Amino acid sequence: MTEQTDPGARPPGARPPVGAEPQPAGDEPTRRGARAERSAAVSFLVATAAAIGLTIVYWQGGQAQLEGTLLAVVLGGIGVGIVLWAKHFMPSGDVTEERPPVASSEDDVAAFAADFEAGGSSVQRRRVLVATAGGACAALGVALLFPIRSLGPRPGRGFKQTAYRAGNIRVVVDDGTPVRPRDLPVDGFITVWPDGHTDDADASTLLIHFRSDQDFRPAPGREDWTVDDIVAYSKICTHVGCPVGLYQAASGLLLCPCHQSTFDVMRHARPVFGPAARSLPQLPLALDGDGFIIATGDFSGPVGPGFWDRGR
Amino acid sequence: MTDQAAPAGEGAPALSPSRRRGPERLYTHRIARWIDSRLGAAKLARTALNKVFPDNWSFMLGELALYAFVVLVLTGIYLTFFFDPSTNEVVYRGSYEPLRGVEMSEAYRSALDLSFDVRAGLVMRQIHHWAALLFLAAITVHLARVFFTGAFRRPREINWIVGCTLLPLAMFNGLFGYSLLDDQLSGTGLRIVYGITISIPLVGTWAASLLFGGEFPGPDIIQRLYVIHILLVPALIAVLIAIHLAILVRHKHTQFPGPGRREDNVVGERFWPTYTFKALGLFFLTSAVLAFLGGVFQINPIWAYGPFDPAEVSTASQPDWYMGWLDGALRIMPGWEIRAFGFEIPNPFFPGVLLAGVTFALLYAWPFLEARVTGDYAEHHLLDRPRQRPVRTALGTATLSFYMILFFGAAADVLASTFGLSVNAILWTFRILVLAVPPIVAWVTYRLCKELSARDGLPVASQVTIREIPRRLRRGPAPETPGS
Amino acid sequence: MRPARLHRVLVALPLVLTVAVTPVLARSARSAGGPGGPGGDPGSGDGGDQALIAEGRELYETGCSSCHGINGRGVVEEGGGVRGPSLENSGEAAAYYYLSTGRMPLANSEEQPTRKEPAYGPEEIDALVAYVGTLGNGPAVPDVDPDAGDLAVGGEVFRANCQACHGAAGTGGALSYGRAAPRLTSATPKQIGSAVRVGPGEMPVFGPDVIDDEELNGLVRYVRYLADPEDPGGLPIGRTGPIPEGFVAWLIGMVALLGLVAWIGTRSPIRQTHGSER
Repeated sequence: MTEQTDPGARPPGARPPVGAEPQPAGDEPTRRGARAERSAAVSFLVATAAAIGLTIVYWQGGQAQLEGTLLAVVLGGIGVGIVLWAKHFMPSGDVTEERPPVASSEDDVAAFAADFEAGGSSVQRRRVLVATAGGACAALGVALLFPIRSLGPRPGRGFKQTAYRAGNIRVVVDDGTPVRPRDLPVDGFITVWPDGHTDDADASTLLIHFRSDQDFRPAPGREDWTVDDIVAYSKICTHVGCPVGLYQAASGLLLCPCHQSTFDVMRHARPVFGPAARSLPQLPLALDGDGFIIATGDFSGPVGPGFWDRGR
Repeated sequence: MTDQAAPAGEGAPALSPSRRRGPERLYTHRIARWIDSRLGAAKLARTALNKVFPDNWSFMLGELALYAFVVLVLTGIYLTFFFDPSTNEVVYRGSYEPLRGVEMSEAYRSALDLSFDVRAGLVMRQIHHWAALLFLAAITVHLARVFFTGAFRRPREINWIVGCTLLPLAMFNGLFGYSLLDDQLSGTGLRIVYGITISIPLVGTWAASLLFGGEFPGPDIIQRLYVIHILLVPALIAVLIAIHLAILVRHKHTQFPGPGRREDNVVGERFWPTYTFKALGLFFLTSAVLAFLGGVFQINPIWAYGPFDPAEVSTASQPDWYMGWLDGALRIMPGWEIRAFGFEIPNPFFPGVLLAGVTFALLYAWPFLEARVTGDYAEHHLLDRPRQRPVRTALGTATLSFYMILFFGAAADVLASTFGLSVNAILWTFRILVLAVPPIVAWVTYRLCKELSARDGLPVASQVTIREIPRRLRRGPAPETPGS
Repeated sequence: MRPARLHRVLVALPLVLTVAVTPVLARSARSAGGPGGPGGDPGSGDGGDQALIAEGRELYETGCSSCHGINGRGVVEEGGGVRGPSLENSGEAAAYYYLSTGRMPLANSEEQPTRKEPAYGPEEIDALVAYVGTLGNGPAVPDVDPDAGDLAVGGEVFRANCQACHGAAGTGGALSYGRAAPRLTSATPKQIGSAVRVGPGEMPVFGPDVIDDEELNGLVRYVRYLADPEDPGGLPIGRTGPIPEGFVAWLIGMVALLGLVAWIGTRSPIRQTHGSER
């Protein structure tokens, strides 16, 4: 059981704790106490006024800054009042309470263990029941996991392919308009999608018109993947998938703002700084009969961030 | 104290306040009897009233977190009356002119309505968001206090585990909460969540596909995060907080050594009335600070970010502060990946999953690791002064410095554009600092602790040095010794 | 004809022809897009005032030719470094942008040009702009009308093309290796329009087929709006997102809470005595 000593009774020789007031019995007024009481009362009154102000502000249409500050004054006023009340008028001397050890006695623990074992023996001895019950519960657990499967589709080809795979698809801007090379000025860039798939998040593509003085060197096998100095890369960063939205035209660099992965447009968008470990996949371009830019096939690799079996 | 029985119903004589007990005591007594005859709780309640709590300021940090949680729940409930977690596309026709006529999801539209067309909606939203930031800041300082004073030792390991679980729950609930609004900034964050999830070997793509309902962005994620954010995680947090407090009451609070304070007692003030009123006062004052922030400082101005579009992004895209260590780790990490036979462990796995896993594993395991190394399995109710534990304190400050560098790493592009520096140079600097600074901080802290405790004439509590730790960990639990 | 009269006709005729023909040429030069675009015409210039161009040439030779060379051909140093790029296809828009924002003249060709007080007055800038316009077939200063633009359309164009570098609120952003996309809040409509069509520095070029003139008006209107946007939530603390919000949470919020806790609670009992008793 807890044993408590009186407030004010301290071990001999110890000094009173800092902050403890000389203890008048009950609430007999001291000068300090009177000032505290005044302050607390004023605090509560200010809170009341602010609450009225808050209702008026709200009734008049509301305004966020006034609402917030008035609410702060209401809450703060009440809080200050309560704390002053506690600090000056409530017992603050040190009280001591016994703290028995948390652990029970050895006997109690042994008795518990014995009772549990005694009761549990009817469970433990029935090995056949234990085994079959365990099997049933495990089977139930596994069965209950199956509805989780309904949460989403099997991660399938969508992770490795985009709508460009159909081949010979025009690239279009977000309102569906196809693109001619002359629409994109030198040093310009624009975001495009496969025609009819402008809502496909995995197919967003950057068309970049580089300058002839920028020493563009295609990767082996991709020499005919550009049209009129226009190259296309996936816009989805190969790090964790943010759009690589910053094109530095003078330097020919694509910068991803999320984690500063930087890709060299003139060298098949290979990463030159930052945490990305793979180039941005490139899209093979050509012109169709009407002079619009088309993609002749899917990207050079799965777009976006890596995953376990990306290479298979 | 003498009892004064006053005749029921008569007006009290004009006595001084300390004597005017008659009618009040009668009513209290009657109410108490009414409740007790139905619950039989009088003895328990009396014990509760008289429970002693030490009132050191550093023991109130956990309370700050608790009160922030209460404010989160109250403001959150208000917000749920207006927010619509649907991803159906609508055209905005509200009062914010720069977005009028723009297509967006219902979720984003309802958030705009809350901000511009619901009276007091914006201040409620902002208080809610500031409360989330401060909830996590309070948890962090509370965790640091518990760590540095050794309050996690027996018998409080279970409570430590409960607390360590509250931390990631709070972090994820914050992340999911601000992602509900489907604005450009938080949508970018969800994209990163998706990318980190698929980086998990073997099961990553499955996990992401099941969580999001398919490939990113998927139509289901906002509704699912809504249920998780308003129901599942808050319920878990509430239950864990209840357990956390119950264990605390069972153990009684720890206390610093001092006059009259021993392992077998607790010195402080009684729960009723002093502690109750101080706690209540702190609750009001905490709410006041949150209300002030919510009204005066703009936070998460989603109207400026625009609705989420998976092909668009802004520079200076960071998560809320408490996720900064993960974001910084992602930025600082060099572009290394493991690839073999067509399989790969992609780059984000290491800073995003592995680092996080190791962080929380070490956090959970700490009390047991420390006990194993020091051989100290005794009950402790007196706290350590950090200077008396140079090894623990040094390891703690070194770890804090490691994560602080990661936090600043997340701000690399903002630092670069604010101070006119090269973001590449900043990131390279942080790569070096994150490895070089923690050992230096550890050494400096260690020396400081030793000097301070020598100057104060305090005994160092444990003789274990850092060099001995690997051997002691391997050797296994030493035979139990009382104290250390 | 008497000699004096002939003289006058000979002088007047080219002037008249230039005045008549130039708007046609200017319009076709504008639609040709950025520097080096196909179908550009030589000699595009607004107004074609010969005196203005002559004044511009004089100013150019004094202040610009040391880096940008005779007739704007550029200066390449020994070793291959470019001291000043060629201005042959920069166009009036580039000259207007760089001169009116004070980015040019640049003291040191290594540094990134930043917005400063312009070194030339408005009339001198007009002259230089007219002269640079004669050097090639670059874009003319676009005729932007923000009031005719749709704010919401401008916002969408901004978020699709500009915010990645300049930030959602136009506060600027970091590029690689010390470069930066500048803050947009001081830019005038003509400067914004010129920059969009010119693509100065690392900025890409956004031609009229990417952002047409109507969208450009909206874009300019939106960027001007960003100079003084609505902040219904209170102090905008930088408009750069969660980083300043985190600082406020710790340095204002947490400091306040710790202060309150220090007021309500007591200090360690150890501080009251020397040493600790166990």
